[in-house]
Amino acid sequence: MNRDEIYAKLTEIFKENLDLDEIELTDETTADDVEGWDSLAHIGLIAAIEQEFGFRFAMKEVVNLHNVGEMVDLILQKIG
Amino acid sequence: MVFSSVLFLTMFLPIVLGIYFLAQEKMRNAVLLTASLIFYAWGEPKAVIVMVALIILSYVVGLGIEKFPKYSKWILTFGILSNLSALIYYKYWMFLLENINLCYSPPPISVIPKIALPIGISFYVFQILSYLIDVYRGQVAAQRNLASLATYVSLFPQLVAGPIVRYETIEKDIQNRSVRYEQVYQGLRRFVIGLAKKVLIADQMAFVADTVFNSPVKEIPTLFAWVGALAYTLQIYYDFSGYSDMAIGLGRVFNFKFLENFNYPYISKSISEYWRRWHISMGSWFRDYLFLPLSRALSLSKTYAVLSGKIGRKRTNIFLTAVALLVTWFIIGFWHGAGWSFIVYGLYNGFFVFVEILTGWSRESKSPLGNLVRHLYAILVFIIGFVIFRSDTLGYAWQYVKTMFGDSNAPLNSFYKATEFLTYSNAMIFIIGCILSTPLLARWYTKYEGTKLDVVVMLVLFIVAYVFAITSTFSPFIYFRF
Repeated sequence: MNRDEIYAKLTEIFKENLDLDEIELTDETTADDVEGWDSLAHIGLIAAIEQEFGFRFAMKEVVNLHNVGEMVDLILQKIG
Repeated sequence: MVFSSVLFLTMFLPIVLGIYFLAQEKMRNAVLLTASLIFYAWGEPKAVIVMVALIILSYVVGLGIEKFPKYSKWILTFGILSNLSALIYYKYWMFLLENINLCYSPPPISVIPKIALPIGISFYVFQILSYLIDVYRGQVAAQRNLASLATYVSLFPQLVAGPIVRYETIEKDIQNRSVRYEQVYQGLRRFVIGLAKKVLIADQMAFVADTVFNSPVKEIPTLFAWVGALAYTLQIYYDFSGYSDMAIGLGRVFNFKFLENFNYPYISKSISEYWRRWHISMGSWFRDYLFLPLSRALSLSKTYAVLSGKIGRKRTNIFLTAVALLVTWFIIGFWHGAGWSFIVYGLYNGFFVFVEILTGWSRESKSPLGNLVRHLYAILVFIIGFVIFRSDTLGYAWQYVKTMFGDSNAPLNSFYKATEFLTYSNAMIFIIGCILSTPLLARWYTKYEGTKLDVVVMLVLFIVAYVFAITSTFSPFIYFRF
């Protein structure tokens, strides 16, 4: 799986979990840029990502993600 | 020792600043640590022993977590439990025993020990816990120098009432004791603003709020119930944010950059937003070290998997959120004090946060009217919250809220005559307090910051505040109780 494919999947997950019609994710997107992406929604997103890609984040990783780019890097690393 | 006391302003602070600036850079942490221990020991020499013991223990635990990754979970658990048991013993033991006695007849415990609460224990234990968990999570390296760790925990600007500083925030600052005069000016300026907030606004509003809240609830007319609640709302904000300003300012003087603790909470349009603006260091602590790990653990549990198979993921998530919020807000309330009204205060706030999540209410409205309604709703909810917070008993809080909504036969005149607390100066301070709780004036003033005019304004503000501080009666900060 490459970055673009991961982005496509993430966009779907974000749309479904945050109840958004449209969303454009980039490497620099942070929680502040996305409406409804608060600490609570974050836990839901993480769980959905884990289910989609079939791996587990460590708590340390859950709290240390700063933007979508880092999230994609981590997913690549985990499934790679 | 209280920041707004004459002893602190005329003796302690000048002496510490003098020695600190004269000392060699490598000795300055030692100066700060010694000053902090004296500051803490001033009122309660015995309480220092508890703090020092917890610091030494946590120093060892921190190193252990790093040195033995295989057992790090157990070492962390030990560290958390020992810190929490100190907190539980000193803060909650009496409350627990009293409540056990209330449940049975005859009461099973004949003698309930009188345990004095070491001041600031809720704050420094939380700082230690954040340090240990961050070491465990690999966010920071364990501190190898015991004195540096002790300085972090006991630093007198934030020791007794926060902000709850994360070790991560000051990890670099603690190694760097250089003096930059621009920072010293910024810091002292911030201190003066905090002092003025405390003695010029909070202490004056305290007089109004105390008069009302110390009256038997049956004698309070509806109008004055609102006056008391509003005065207390202003008092607690200027008291606590003033204290935070002084702490952040003093930190800056010593080259520490603490994070902000308040961000104009009273302009919030929802209770969720309010808690992101009020006592930020506490709210984010509970988010990062309780709410998130708890929701995470719940979302990984078997029950979660079974439940989402039965009723779908969306509904299961709502259920999970409810459970995690219930636990978190119960503990947030309890953190504020060993009493039922604090627990109710926590759950009351948690309830509104939950409802806002369910309804999507916390998202901004597109129409100005919608935002006005949201704003008024938030104000009403936090004012009633403060009534619960201020009341000694839940019964009093309930009666008081009923009085606010018209359930009162108390005659207006007799209450006013008996108290005579509504003076012109208090009314002025009330209006100024309302205006300054929004960012309007502060934004306008930023262009004068650092100018000569600014220096004069701050000097005048300091002198006025100082005169008020020495002439008024002793008034500790509200948050010293916790």
